[in-house]
Amino acid sequence: MALFLQRLVDGLSSGSVYALIALGLVIIYRGTGHLNFAQGEMALFAAYVVYQMGEWGLPIGIALVIGLATGFVIGAVAEVGLVRPISKKSPFAVFIVTIGLFQLLNWLSGAIWGDQVLPNSGVGSKQQQYPSLFPDQPDDFVKVFGAAIRYQSLGVLLLTLVITGLLFLLFNKTKFGLAMRAVASNAESAKLVGIRVNTVLMVSWGLAAAIGALGGVVFAGINNSVSLGLMFTVFIYGSAAATLGGFDSPGGAVIAGLAIGVIENMAAGYIGFIGQEMKLAVAFIVILVVLMVKPSGLFGTAKVERV
Amino acid sequence: MKSLVTIKEGSIGHWVLRLLAAAIVVAIMLWIPTKGSNGLVTSATEALTLMSAAMALNLILGYTGQISIGHSAFYGTGAYVTGILVSKYEWSPWLTFPVAFLFAFVVGVLVSFPASRIKGVYLALVTLALALVFPNLLRWPKLESLTGGGPGIPNGDSALDTTGFNIGRRDGQMRNFEIFGWDPFGDLRGQGAIPFYYWIAAGIAVIVYLVIRGVVKSRAGRSLIAVRDNETAAAVMGVNLVATKAFAFGISAGLCALPGSVTAIRLGAVSPDIATLTILGSLTFLIIMVIGGAGSLWGPIIGAALYVFVTDRTGGWADDEAIPGVLRPFFGWSKIPPGSGIFAVILIVLMFVAPRGLVGVWKQYSPRVVRVVPRPAGVAHDAKPALVADTTTNSTPEGESE
Amino acid sequence: MSLLSVSHLKAGYGPINVLHDVELTVEAGEIVVMLGANGAGKTTTMRAISGMIGRSGEVHFEGADIARATPDAIVRAGIAQVPQGRGTFPELNVEDNLRCGAYIRSDKEIDADIDRWFDVFPRLRERRAQRAGSLSGGEQQMLAIARALMARPKLLLCDEPSLGLAPLITQELFAVIERLNREMGLSVLLVEQNANLAMHMAHRVYLIETGRIVASGSAAELSADDSIRKAYLGF
Repeated sequence: MALFLQRLVDGLSSGSVYALIALGLVIIYRGTGHLNFAQGEMALFAAYVVYQMGEWGLPIGIALVIGLATGFVIGAVAEVGLVRPISKKSPFAVFIVTIGLFQLLNWLSGAIWGDQVLPNSGVGSKQQQYPSLFPDQPDDFVKVFGAAIRYQSLGVLLLTLVITGLLFLLFNKTKFGLAMRAVASNAESAKLVGIRVNTVLMVSWGLAAAIGALGGVVFAGINNSVSLGLMFTVFIYGSAAATLGGFDSPGGAVIAGLAIGVIENMAAGYIGFIGQEMKLAVAFIVILVVLMVKPSGLFGTAKVERV
Repeated sequence: MKSLVTIKEGSIGHWVLRLLAAAIVVAIMLWIPTKGSNGLVTSATEALTLMSAAMALNLILGYTGQISIGHSAFYGTGAYVTGILVSKYEWSPWLTFPVAFLFAFVVGVLVSFPASRIKGVYLALVTLALALVFPNLLRWPKLESLTGGGPGIPNGDSALDTTGFNIGRRDGQMRNFEIFGWDPFGDLRGQGAIPFYYWIAAGIAVIVYLVIRGVVKSRAGRSLIAVRDNETAAAVMGVNLVATKAFAFGISAGLCALPGSVTAIRLGAVSPDIATLTILGSLTFLIIMVIGGAGSLWGPIIGAALYVFVTDRTGGWADDEAIPGVLRPFFGWSKIPPGSGIFAVILIVLMFVAPRGLVGVWKQYSPRVVRVVPRPAGVAHDAKPALVADTTTNSTPEGESE
Repeated sequence: MSLLSVSHLKAGYGPINVLHDVELTVEAGEIVVMLGANGAGKTTTMRAISGMIGRSGEVHFEGADIARATPDAIVRAGIAQVPQGRGTFPELNVEDNLRCGAYIRSDKEIDADIDRWFDVFPRLRERRAQRAGSLSGGEQQMLAIARALMARPKLLLCDEPSLGLAPLITQELFAVIERLNREMGLSVLLVEQNANLAMHMAHRVYLIETGRIVASGSAAELSADDSIRKAYLGF
């Protein structure tokens, strides 16, 4: 029981990160119909920024705000400067540009912060560990049925649920959310009712990148460090969540993200055959099977095609 | 657009031009291992290896329009097939090439079945996941007896170094390979097997090039291009989509395994940490192919040469002192070599200004100097009635540049 | 001063020019119908007026030059378009569709307006929480018109509202448009391929052919012209 609970909480905690990345992917997909391969690296860059703020002695709250703002700017600039002009050419060009952006952001992170795992006293880091949003000392946990539930895990899950709730309010209760849904549904008509579609798309990309950035910061916190390869696998898990939930369903993305986190942890824990090494195969199989059997995912609309 | 020189396809002038191009390529390939420095030979070997992988990727991406960022897995399959067969079963490395090809071919065909139902960026996503899973698969304890797990098959354990390539070396001495006074291993044979690896990589690159050229120019190749341009129309015209895609994917995967085998032989060791076996490899192949020109035979060749040239030149630039003075203000701040950043920028910029890559740029501007007019269909060897001649004679050369 | 006056309007898609020289006016309180065959440039004219495509020439609305204005500025100026094929937001429910129509407004009367159009189109009220994509063609057309009216436009552009609808439904729709025109003085520019029904309510009619206005006049004048009657009215 204790072990099961432990694995459940661990799964929900990593699942929260997947959910945040998936939310970003879904917001972009709904707005522009693109799969943003640079989503993970946008989050990586923001995670490094938060590390840097921590180095400069800023409290985590302010560091986080700066990190998310950085994410927002990267996303918005990428949409306006790269994706919008290139999407007139071909879907392949958009794909290559997002791949180029992936590589550029990864390189830029390395160019600024180097290729070591940070924090690292060897390169002069002042911090002992990556700035954490939640109490993360060794004894910051609560015992429930014998399982050690870390405050960090609970905090991450709670944060994800709060973000999901806020997004729900944004989409359904605000005028801007209405505009976002209108653009996702029919961009042409959105223009005809006076919605500035370009602004909506720019903000959507910014918002998506900021949510992804939160995922990056949270994951670096769970990991206690940030390094250049941090987001590779997280991006795949996030994509698997977006695929499973349906590329146009934010609620689906969160549910699927949490579910995948739990499933991979349970599978790796209880099915010895899989082990820690093959956890990622769970995500791979989810993507493959969903795309083949039900490309619209569990909660998406049939509008999503395999094109 | 007026060109300086106009020649007919198949005319003497055209053949002279072709032979001249071929002669230049052959001369460069011979000059590098015989006269070039050790470093140049190593770089050239690297370029030939990456070029072969990019050419293999080009077969499905450039010619059938299926996006794969999972080719590092096929590349790694080749490396491990060679590594395992040589080290565990003491095969001759030569014999592992066909096995690596076949094994990866089968894997490729298996991957192609889901791939034929999944399109565009979703296929890219699936293959990206494949690329990321692959190194984990190598580390998987269940396969450890075969793959060596996390450390892989290290140089010391492996028979690669001692039993493998003694074909040219006996008792530490290179045998004399002089051909009419010319020694393919050049002045370097005393310094180990560096030019030897070059010749293996070159041989593989030539084989990959010829196979892809054969496939692309064949009936099957035309089906591939038809699939890329309009899938539905291709199906209506009787192209078997699933079989065509499976064939292309299989060939592409099999060919991509060959440079993987070369890498295993060259390093004398394999491990999941070799960069080309990870997602970085897939990205490198993609970058080379796109920069050179997707869907052209010469694209990956030019792309690989440029890629290796730039990464070699900038490889040491993490150290500011190594950067030439003029460029220091631009790159001095970077803590890692600027290569991947430079190529990321080139990739993005190319998509805006020249989406067909460097070969596309060449095709756009070269007709101003030399234009090759295609032979009218009516007078071709097969001497079909010239019913369609009117439309074909007017068309611009659309065959891939030779 | 005309409410809308268009002259020397040229527009098209990329290198292809569809409109060559379109001239037309709509006076306040008028229903103007533009007739033309498939591909004559009717939809392009509408899209050019709404600022949805690149165009050149002069477009004046209430005296102000809107030839270079963005679509949202044109909606704010008081022109709302019901696009061809209805153009509702299929994933949004009926009420949200109407709220989108009022996107440019920030007054307190939006809810009252929604109620008002539900009075005019009672069937929309019954389906207010349903996704627009699940409505019938006629209901969607009503929704599209109601959505456009939510912007409180001075001029309503209707692009082939009869497309794909049964004649009875079309009649019903046109009756509503006529009523709006009578009761609240709404000006309407409506394009149609099928002329019979539209002619009855038109104050004036334009004929468009390959991107040019080829004839104009009252409905009676155009019906009296034999060649026009044969080509466009089919009787």
